[in-house]
Amino acid sequence: MSKDILNQKLTNEVSSIFDQVDVVVGYCGSNNPLMVNPCFIEEKEGLDQLIFNQLCINNLASYAYKLSKRIKGNIAMVVKPCDSKAIAQLISEGLIERDKFKLLAVQCPGVLDHKKITKALKGARVFSLNIGADKIEVETATGTQELTKDEFYADKCYWCKIYNKPPLHDIFIENDQKFSLEPRDRFEDIQDLEKMSLDEIFSYWQQEFERCIRCYACRNICPLEVCQDQCIVHLDYPNWQSQKVDADENKFFQMIRVMHLAGRCVECGECERVCPQNIGLLKLMKKMNQIIGDIFDYEAGMDIEAKPPLLTYKTLEKNIKEEEL
Amino acid sequence: MMTEQIKENKGQAQKEEVRIVAFLCNWCSYAGSDAAGTARLRQPENLRIIRVPCSGRINPLFILKAFAMGADGVLVSGCHPNDCHYSDGNFYARRRLEVLKEYLPFIGIDKRRFAYQWVSASEGQKWQRVVVNFVKRIKSINGE
Ligand code: SF4
Ligand code: SF4
Ligand code: SF4
Repeated sequence: MSKDILNQKLTNEVSSIFDQVDVVVGYCGSNNPLMVNPCFIEEKEGLDQLIFNQLCINNLASYAYKLSKRIKGNIAMVVKPCDSKAIAQLISEGLIERDKFKLLAVQCPGVLDHKKITKALKGARVFSLNIGADKIEVETATGTQELTKDEFYADKCYWCKIYNKPPLHDIFIENDQKFSLEPRDRFEDIQDLEKMSLDEIFSYWQQEFERCIRCYACRNICPLEVCQDQCIVHLDYPNWQSQKVDADENKFFQMIRVMHLAGRCVECGECERVCPQNIGLLKLMKKMNQIIGDIFDYEAGMDIEAKPPLLTYKTLEKNIKEEEL
Repeated sequence: MMTEQIKENKGQAQKEEVRIVAFLCNWCSYAGSDAAGTARLRQPENLRIIRVPCSGRINPLFILKAFAMGADGVLVSGCHPNDCHYSDGNFYARRRLEVLKEYLPFIGIDKRRFAYQWVSASEGQKWQRVVVNFVKRIKSINGE
């Protein structure tokens, strides 16, 4: 594939700062037509491989914390505006240093969810994929198909408000391909659950977590879950969690995630994307974020100066009404 | 330690109607409940009290774990705001506990099953009232 204008711009921008960094984290092509690969470029020659297109769904910020511990110098990272939220959040919590990162934010047209495409194709093997302005053309073992692009975006893109204004960046790369989705309500997908009775919602989650195989992929991919090797899930004493895999234990594992990400989750959707069992993990996170937003008027990753609400307090809390028993 | 105490509670309270786990801060509420006892104020027997150094020590997961292990209700009590032995533990606690309380219904737990209160060392009577009312509330949720 010859380079389009965006990719040329991207390569130029990265080249211009290449001398200041030890590694460039970006996206490169892969063997799977539905996916791109994250890549780590240390030699100037490698820069040619860099790409950005609507398949770049991964949040590269997932590598930020570990890389920043391993790499002495600076790190350049290609980010979508939503990904830069994760970096901003890590900085606001003091987990990584601002100066260590050169963020190249790409103006974003939205990204496509390969899981949705695979589902629509009923798992048929894909030979090639062509993303047009409003159609996706896929060549599979059973022939060529056209899909309406609007239905295949990652969920987060449907309510995105920052596709052209990343909360944090050093270089902004304009894109002629424009964002075209109608903005929807961010909490639309938890509304149905909230209409359920307590018993119904309890068994809804019970059923979801029947399927969980406790592979920990959701935890391992999360850019904000930085204490993986010391995760309390693995503690023998106190023994928070048995290694037993059943709905109760699996749900408790997820509760650990929710509590540890309260006021920190940037809703990048990576946990849900990598879940092999397709469990609706983002709903759990969104509810917590909604509560955090309502009480503390805070959204993770939007401001590196703002303190995450559970790391601080006010003596008078204007939105907390304490009950008297 | 903590989980053992909860487990014990599960076994022990089987005979009783409802099982409630209470986390009390060492400096105010634990002393307050003690004061209630010394003053011979009658209290329901449904509580298993776990003493913690400060309400700020209470991890929201303690509460979820207690529910997961079969508690019908969980009560947290600490020093009044501005009276914390460590100056601001209870302020941090208030944020965490409030957030947890609002979250409970989303996983199918009635949020009235969880309460956090401020009871000082001298408030034996208030402690009695809190416990009596909380137990009453849990019983009514359980349909007793
Ligand atoms: S959420 Fe916004 S910034 Fe992120 S991929 Fe979607 S459109 Fe782009
Ligand atoms: S990724 Fe999915 S299956 Fe794996 S532990 Fe997380 S919820 Fe369970
Ligand atoms: S919990 Fe999921 S959505 Fe939230 S930051 Fe982590 S990976 Fe992203």
